[in-house]
Amino acid sequence: MFKDIAFGQYYPSGSVVHRMDPRAKLLLTILFVVAIFFVNTYFGFMLTAAVLLLIILIAKLPMLSVLKSVRAVLFIVLFAAVINLFMIKDGEILWSWKALQITDQGVHTTIKMALRLVLLISGASLLTLTTTPVEVADGTESLIKPLKYLKVPVHDIAMIMSIALRFIPTLFEETNKIISAQKARGASFDTGGLVARAKALLPVLIPLFVNSFRRADELAFAMDARCYNATENRTKMKVMKIGVADIVGSLFIAAYFVAVLLDRYYFNGAMDSLIFGGLV
Amino acid sequence: MPQIELINVSYSYRTGEGQSVRALRNVSFSVEKGEFVALAGMNGSGKSTLAKLLNGLFVPSAGDVVIDGMNTRDEERTFDIRRKAGMVFQNPDNQMVATIIEDDVAFGPENLGVPREEMIERVDRALDAVGMQEYRTRSASKLSGGQKQRVAIAGVLAMEPEIIIFDESTSMLDPEGRAEIMDVAKKLNEKGITVIAITHNMDEAAMADRIIVLRKGRKVLDGTPKEVFASPEVEACGLALPPATELARMLSERGFRFDGTVTDEEELVEGICSQSN
Amino acid sequence: MLAVELKKLSYTYSVKTPFEKRALDNVDLAIEKGEFVGLIGATGSGKSTLIQHLNGLVKVQEGEAMVAGMNASDKKTLKKLRFTVGMVFQYPEYQLFEETVARDVAFGPKNMKLEKEEVDRRVRRAMEVVGLPYEEFAERSPFELSGGEKRRAAIAGVIAMEPEILVLDEPVAGLDPVGRREILALVRKLHEEVSPTVIMVSHYMDDIAEMADRIVALKDGRVVADGSPAEVFGAREKLAAAGLSLPTAARIADKLAARGIVLPRTIVTPVALADALAELKAKRAEKESEDREGEEEKDV
Repeated sequence: MFKDIAFGQYYPSGSVVHRMDPRAKLLLTILFVVAIFFVNTYFGFMLTAAVLLLIILIAKLPMLSVLKSVRAVLFIVLFAAVINLFMIKDGEILWSWKALQITDQGVHTTIKMALRLVLLISGASLLTLTTTPVEVADGTESLIKPLKYLKVPVHDIAMIMSIALRFIPTLFEETNKIISAQKARGASFDTGGLVARAKALLPVLIPLFVNSFRRADELAFAMDARCYNATENRTKMKVMKIGVADIVGSLFIAAYFVAVLLDRYYFNGAMDSLIFGGLV
Repeated sequence: MPQIELINVSYSYRTGEGQSVRALRNVSFSVEKGEFVALAGMNGSGKSTLAKLLNGLFVPSAGDVVIDGMNTRDEERTFDIRRKAGMVFQNPDNQMVATIIEDDVAFGPENLGVPREEMIERVDRALDAVGMQEYRTRSASKLSGGQKQRVAIAGVLAMEPEIIIFDESTSMLDPEGRAEIMDVAKKLNEKGITVIAITHNMDEAAMADRIIVLRKGRKVLDGTPKEVFASPEVEACGLALPPATELARMLSERGFRFDGTVTDEEELVEGICSQSN
Repeated sequence: MLAVELKKLSYTYSVKTPFEKRALDNVDLAIEKGEFVGLIGATGSGKSTLIQHLNGLVKVQEGEAMVAGMNASDKKTLKKLRFTVGMVFQYPEYQLFEETVARDVAFGPKNMKLEKEEVDRRVRRAMEVVGLPYEEFAERSPFELSGGEKRRAAIAGVIAMEPEILVLDEPVAGLDPVGRREILALVRKLHEEVSPTVIMVSHYMDDIAEMADRIVALKDGRVVADGSPAEVFGAREKLAAAGLSLPTAARIADKLAARGIVLPRTIVTPVALADALAELKAKRAEKESEDREGEEEKDV
């Protein structure tokens, strides 16, 4: 039932990308996502895909792991594409039937939008494929640290994040166990209407909540017993350090950003005409 | 001065319906540094409540708990007490804070503000002591129950405690896991750490120097395993005798004679051999 | 009649990922109706995967699983299969969810779409059998029961379906000695009164030796031993190779053998050991007195 929620699950390969500072990876991912929104030519998309491919190769990830993440959002992409295709009325009409029509502009916008979404998801999944949840939490904590001066409980937020991440596999396992136990008593989760299905989930959700409260209770005791909040001057074992790979990575993504901006504002589509000729 | 001292300790709590339950009544005993004490009793005997009173997770309703001269009522000493008396809980999954093993072991020292270099050494030593060094950078979710509990012990050791309380830490494990944990507990005790093991498993209790048996919140027995297993009270407390003791009793009914109470298999075998040849 | 028939059953988890694991490997197993089978094996030996095939919770990948005359991969009979095989998972109390014990126990029978009277009858019977008298416990919240009572309530929820085959995974895990004894006695009672065929998974060799007619041992997804407790535990070398331990009585017998007191290897329970030792002692006493008489005769 929950098998498909494997979106961008950490894939250990020990590559240089895996070893990069999580803060650098977080910031570069954000930069990459922003860059994709500036891309509006086919050349730009090709460039983006090339950049992603290169990172996948360096990170020693199987193509399949990235495609899986894309598959998770495929439905949304297709849905948005269909809407786009019929909504855009500008440009030359290629096909029409009653109120529906498809224009060449519509086709282009649709393809570009789909490409943008697919590349965006692939890029974001590269972060989670190469960075453990804990590193993401630690990196985030470090990046939002300045908010401490605005009295934001940065450390507690980070603790909540990392505990939530720590318990995701435990809760999945538990959910599956409860589902099996109720199925064994004849429960079914995939028949009937929406209301019936929602009701059928109660025998799973109630024990899951009850058990989670029990877990939370026990965890609180365990944290207290290990002196949580003993001192303001908490220390950390893991320190994050910017290394050569982080600098090279940053330069690489920065270069990509510049290329995207040049393509859009300086060449202004010239690369597309050059490569695809009259097609676009 | 004893390391742990309980003086007329009582503890009551309120249930969801507002009823007051007296979990412990007038319990007194003391434990010397380096002892291995088993706290036994059936579910609901108050043994887990007692465990939580030893490191200030609970404060007695009446009476005092004193650890190395520090009263658990004294809020300023709470963290000193918890550092000194570490605790390993029952459920391996519910006491792990971090995903990666070494991060979890570092949690205690981090909370105490231990400097980084020293912390790394402590984590190293703690993982060595429980034999989990090679797993340090792995995720805890793929470990067996026994391995998870060993990580939990390492997390306590990294705080450099003088006392370790095992709060039914073996009850959710398979026999291999149990043996692993009891083995570690014994080794730590040999190094001078005081061990308090809360259990309802008499095989484990038999490994202790001393067994304290609780029944309905009261202390009913306190003595060496031999003394305790010889008492007719044991079974009234809902506890089973260790298999070796049970067998010796069956053999006594069949004409064998043993000197004193048999507590382990070696003694039993010795006893049988001495009267069969 | 066969209750369970597994033919060349194999199963692999996480196929084509770095976590791929073969959980079952060519398992052939036939269990007669009325048998009490103890399933043993180290953690990760495939016991859970095997039992979850029996009611179709795990889909058959390779081979065939026939249970009570139904094919476990047949979707049409899946529901019926689940009502035929009662499955008591580890720590079953964590699946309780209803407001009252009676309603929780009724969950299975209601899913069977039985008449209201029949549901009531089964709930009452199940609660009585597990030792939670209906009048006293029916309206109580399952979350307010004691640990042992919760487990019995959860077991009642399974046997209210009156399954022909009852599968129990570590039914005494985490219980204190009193709770253990009660649950083991209950399992025996269920075998006699409710479900003729019982399969019990346990790490406790002493319990298995006492309770089961037949033991099946798994290692790395393969059946490595199958027979009566005396046969399985008697084959010491095979057992050690499978990484399994002996019941206490057999272990003590081995220690005695090392000291010159040789007893049959088929001894697996404390009573059998005590009886054998008493018999041996009596024989020796007899022989000694005979010898003494003989010597006396010589003297004359």
